[in-house]
Amino acid sequence: MEKSADGFKPKILAFCCNWCSYAGADLAGVSRLQMPSDFRVIRVMCSARVSPEWVIKALAGGVDGVMVLGCHIGDCHYISGNHRAKKRFALLKEMLGYLGINPARLYVDWVSASEGARFQQIVTEFVETVKELGPHHGPEG
Amino acid sequence: MQDPVQRVREIAGQLLTGGQVDGVLGLCEQHGGVGPCLFRGEDDLSSLVLEPKYPLANVCKLIQARYPNGRLGVIVRGCDERALIEMAKREQVDLDKLALIGLACTEAQAVECRCRHPYPQRIDVGERVEGVAPTVDENVRKLLEQGFNERLAFWHHEFSKCIKCYGCRNACPVCICEECILEDELWVQPGVVPPDYAAFQFIRAYHISDKCIGCGECEAACPMDIPLTRLYALVRETVRELFDYEAGADVAAPSPLVTTLEETPLLEVGER
Ligand code: SF4
Ligand code: SF4
Ligand code: SF4
Ligand code: FES
Repeated sequence: MEKSADGFKPKILAFCCNWCSYAGADLAGVSRLQMPSDFRVIRVMCSARVSPEWVIKALAGGVDGVMVLGCHIGDCHYISGNHRAKKRFALLKEMLGYLGINPARLYVDWVSASEGARFQQIVTEFVETVKELGPHHGPEG
Repeated sequence: MQDPVQRVREIAGQLLTGGQVDGVLGLCEQHGGVGPCLFRGEDDLSSLVLEPKYPLANVCKLIQARYPNGRLGVIVRGCDERALIEMAKREQVDLDKLALIGLACTEAQAVECRCRHPYPQRIDVGERVEGVAPTVDENVRKLLEQGFNERLAFWHHEFSKCIKCYGCRNACPVCICEECILEDELWVQPGVVPPDYAAFQFIRAYHISDKCIGCGECEAACPMDIPLTRLYALVRETVRELFDYEAGADVAAPSPLVTTLEETPLLEVGER
């Protein structure tokens, strides 16, 4: 695992929907694209399955950054699941800010099954962002 | 101008004598205090008062649960009406069986509540005064001027006072779930005080985000004086900006969190 200059190795969770972004992640894997190893993928059926409680609990439980990745808008296997995800995380981000957690620790985006390279790119960038933010000590300080 | 109390007594009296309602829900002075009261006859109305602000939506819900066919007059301020509208969306009350008597709040009351709409949709009594934006409040402003670390420290200090009495949830007119996640040990560990505040306070704040009507009853109920409405006021503003949506405004408008992007688009939120 890579460490940043000061030895900080972030813990990152990536929720990926079964139909697009997980397949995208898989493609990135089988294509042997170079990726940081600081993230763990949790496969869910749809981005709408990711409830804000999970994100809250992950951030409270010592995770430094959370990604929610679904199908592009219009492509959700369940038609409008990602519409809901997009709205609820837009709201949650603002709320995290009011409560003192940098909203940049939550990243929401869309990756199709054929976008292996894009998956690699956004994960790499998010890991960099979180490294710059530094460790998240959770709301308990 | 006629004394508002007299005017309300008159309207309530007419509803009762005309047989339009079986009772009128309002406030009365009794045993040296003020509390909710169901006025059944015109004669009872001499004890009716309008102050202080007191939440009637939850009382209305209890009466309707017991007497589903009863027709009720209810004296409502803006927040009472908005609470009833959000409750009606979730089948907690039946608006069709209610006759609302609308009471406009004073400017001082509006400022105290940081209330955008200090009046119900139809005003029967009182003068309409302009509402105030929650961000006008000095404490809300102060929070917004702080950086993330300062905010985190502030809330940590506040939330660590929580004794998990559930008063905030119980007082809230829109916290209506029969099975509350805050009593589920998967999320909130039993027997631990203060509760892990991310689990307790963040989750409650998110759950009320699309339905909080800003009545302030949560904070009023909190024995530890945790400034909950400072957070909820900001959350309500955000919902307003992101979705052009206000809870309690329209019984036919579903929460923007359950509609598609075509039905309720997501808007950009400005800098704070
Ligand atoms: S102000 Fe508090 S009690 Fe009133 S609706 Fe909002 S969360 Fe519930
Ligand atoms: S905190 Fe959430 S789960 Fe509990 S009553 Fe309120 S809305 Fe329902
Ligand atoms: S009313 Fe106050 S002390 Fe009681 S559970 Fe709510 S925040 Fe905690
Ligand atoms: S199935 Fe991929 S976002 Fe809904």
